[in-house]
Amino acid sequence: MTSRLQFFVLQCGMILFVAGFYRSECFGQLLSSDVVRDVDLHAGKVLANWIDEKSQAQWDQEGVAAPLIVDDSTFLRRLFLDLTGTIPSVATAREFLDSTDPYKRDIAIEVLLREPRSAEHLARVWRRMLVPTGTPTEAMGQMIEPWLKDQFARNAPYDEFARNLLTVKSTDATDPTKPYATSAIMFYQAAGGNAEGAADSATRFFLGVRLGCAKCHDHPFAKWKQEDFWGMAAFFAGVQNGTVDDSPRTTIRPSDSDVEYTAKLLWEEETKLDGASPRKVFADWVVSEHNPNFAATAVNRVWQHLCGRSLAGTVDDLDQANAEDRAILLDGLAMEFAESKFDLRHLISAICRSKAYQCSTVSPDQLGGKLQVADVRPLKTLSPEQVFDAMEQALMLPVGRTDNAARFNGQRATIVSRMNEAFSDSPEDFSAGIPQALMMMNGTLISDATNLQTSRTLRAVVDAPFMKDEERLDTLFLATLTRKPSKREREVLLTSAKADGADRGTVFADIMWALLNSPEFVLSR
Amino acid sequence: MAQFNQFTRRDIARMLMAGAAGISCSGWMPHLAAQAETAKKNGRACILLWMGGGPSQLDTFDPKPDHKNGGPVKPIDTAVPGIQISEYLPGLAKEMKDLVLFRGMTSKEGDHGRATQLMLTGYRPVEAVNYPGIGSLLAKELAPADGELPGFVSISPFRFGGVGGPGFLGPKYAPLTVSGNSSDPNARADLTVENMLPPAHVSPASMKSRVEMLQFLQQEFTSKVAGEAAFSHQANYDRAIRMVETQGRNAFNLDDEPDALRDAYGRNRFGQGCLLARRLVERGVPFIEVSLANSGNVFGWDTHADNFNQVKSLCDVLDPAWSALMNDLRDRGLLETTTIVWMGEFGRTPVINPNGGRDHFPLAWSTVMGGGGLNGGQVVGDTGKAGAEVVDRPVQVKDFYATICRAVGLNPNKENISTIGRPISLAEAGAEAVKEVLRS
Repeated sequence: MTSRLQFFVLQCGMILFVAGFYRSECFGQLLSSDVVRDVDLHAGKVLANWIDEKSQAQWDQEGVAAPLIVDDSTFLRRLFLDLTGTIPSVATAREFLDSTDPYKRDIAIEVLLREPRSAEHLARVWRRMLVPTGTPTEAMGQMIEPWLKDQFARNAPYDEFARNLLTVKSTDATDPTKPYATSAIMFYQAAGGNAEGAADSATRFFLGVRLGCAKCHDHPFAKWKQEDFWGMAAFFAGVQNGTVDDSPRTTIRPSDSDVEYTAKLLWEEETKLDGASPRKVFADWVVSEHNPNFAATAVNRVWQHLCGRSLAGTVDDLDQANAEDRAILLDGLAMEFAESKFDLRHLISAICRSKAYQCSTVSPDQLGGKLQVADVRPLKTLSPEQVFDAMEQALMLPVGRTDNAARFNGQRATIVSRMNEAFSDSPEDFSAGIPQALMMMNGTLISDATNLQTSRTLRAVVDAPFMKDEERLDTLFLATLTRKPSKREREVLLTSAKADGADRGTVFADIMWALLNSPEFVLSR
Repeated sequence: MAQFNQFTRRDIARMLMAGAAGISCSGWMPHLAAQAETAKKNGRACILLWMGGGPSQLDTFDPKPDHKNGGPVKPIDTAVPGIQISEYLPGLAKEMKDLVLFRGMTSKEGDHGRATQLMLTGYRPVEAVNYPGIGSLLAKELAPADGELPGFVSISPFRFGGVGGPGFLGPKYAPLTVSGNSSDPNARADLTVENMLPPAHVSPASMKSRVEMLQFLQQEFTSKVAGEAAFSHQANYDRAIRMVETQGRNAFNLDDEPDALRDAYGRNRFGQGCLLARRLVERGVPFIEVSLANSGNVFGWDTHADNFNQVKSLCDVLDPAWSALMNDLRDRGLLETTTIVWMGEFGRTPVINPNGGRDHFPLAWSTVMGGGGLNGGQVVGDTGKAGAEVVDRPVQVKDFYATICRAVGLNPNKENISTIGRPISLAEAGAEAVKEVLRS
């Protein structure tokens, strides 16, 4: 009788969470979503199996054990952060954890990939690839997001994506059939609004080759010469003083030089334009099946975003990677990607289903122990936007403009810009400094979140009658870390809390603070 | 570099050690009252007075009274016979025995962004290398390993471009930024570290309990997952928690200083920033940057128009603050070990433009050093009658860097390894310190 009553009250308490969940404009029921009815769950599995075979062969060759596959909690949190930029609500987490559907992971992947929020998140991730953090023009980079979001929402083939970006013109901004042209043009503005910047950014982003060094002198470490840089820049001769256009000119002269360079594609003997628009020739060459770096750079970037590390070399310097490293998995997967007509969603889905994605981060025991386990999955640092969005979800913050929501009233902007001051583009680095830690410890948002007067999550937990303290703790853990506490965590946190003789509200406020400040909140494992 | 397969087990031993080492439970608040110790004996420090925008050399340290380029500014005698500086700097004229004027600075960078990068890193901008700023470079060499305060504190930073951070040295050497959080002119001097105080509704007992729970959760996490990021996170929280516990050893409580001294520094952000710099030096912080950019002029020293009024009003802030700092450090026996560097990204044109302004001029301009490690009372370089070029003893930026390194007791050839594995020396290869100004 008692337990039934408890269950009923628990359900009532959860209504608050469910409400928060809808407000965060995320998903209906995750696993029973209509979305999956039309999706062929088998399609992604074939490629995932291919990835698994290649990975296993490599682990065998290295003489290491395959890594363990993570539990449902870790998987769900990982997937939400990677595909939507936020963490699941308590209700979604419970739904997923309680489900016995053997295909629930595959379903979750397909559903999340089709959420509008996913396109928004991927746009942010790609914007940081296009205009890296710390670039003086970062603010302009943010203005590319609407175009990116449209590309991801439509799942535009990646070659089309590249052509679109490489051939957009300033005059497209007034063309009503190209509503996102203004946004796409910001790529050129963020690159400096000139030919050299455009060539440099396009080559780095699409081909993983940094030519920037060769602008003023031959590259000190790579084979690139000044003429390679300016040969590529000549294709963008129509990009000048912020105006983006095609130019009939196919030569370019650096402002501090008398040498005139002719348009020539990297690693080609000579380039014949035959009267075609130089940028179109450039775009055709970039996406051509003979280009060794286009698909591979895309795959390398997607892999790093999802798995934390690139497959070969670093994403911006694929030209520096050696062929053996590329041959292990990258080049093959790039070929598969090209054969799928550059279907990005298909690629992401397959990677998310693979063991390489679903495996656990190694533990200190595995690092030091006799049995060597493949070290595939590093910890990944959440981006500034992910930290905010995760807090918004965990704290059930209001999201409406009229509710003085943190996302609109300047709090989000403050938090994101403070975090941006110390953010690295490599997901493996945790770069935050003292100002960022102080903000998480004592800042307004956390202060409100750990105050019974102002925190919805805390109130829902503390005020729910008949809820046991263990259940309260479970709920706080699910809200912040998408998992239930371990036995030891339960013991230590509840005992130490009780020992101090503080009232329940204070105890749970303190626990909430510790959870939000814990490494597990800002590091995806 | 097949990162997918290769076991990137960076420093396994270190990780395991760190994982195994227990975390001491933090004693909350008792540290609050801890007395400020004096700086580590023989510990060297450097205070950078950053003049963003590019200060006019002709109207400060290299006056040209006998040429039309000199404008209306009169020279005054200093404590060193034969050396004259601008009448705008009467306080510093008295400090000349501890100052070295570099009148023959010369570079090729006349753009704010590029020149700022050059002056704050010692290297011309090259896209592939993210050079660390001077504060991070020196803090890395000079900061004690277990300092309670960060090794690099930047006060009201103002500069063109996002340079001057830790670059490839990484966030461990990033500056702690201090800013006044009020736009009320009377409260400008209220320099604080944001969010350093726990929220009012949280009791000390709660704060103690929070930190203990956090440390427990950190320990649980690092015992389950290995990763550099987890250790960086923990190290950063340790430093932040120490800052809150000790309230930065009260460094930021400027109210502890006598009113007369606060007045002497000047009741403005730069003046109080200089005072804060002294308090930080006393507490063992080896590098402090104080920026002068306010005084109603958003572009600081970038005086393309109305140069003379602008420079005078900036000097009215600069002169008392800097001379009070010299005196104050001297009184406390810290001037011997504290090197003061005054510089902007370039100088300004000798020719006065039609707007009564001066434009960017990197060919022949001035910087100043003072205090620790230097034989003061000297002028290095000469820009002739008109100030249009260096006619004697030119000093390149890399040579200036080598001189700073030597003054604080460092070898300018000491190398750091950049992210792409390339060794980068503190001062660019081939740099030569200006030996005649260094105390041997």
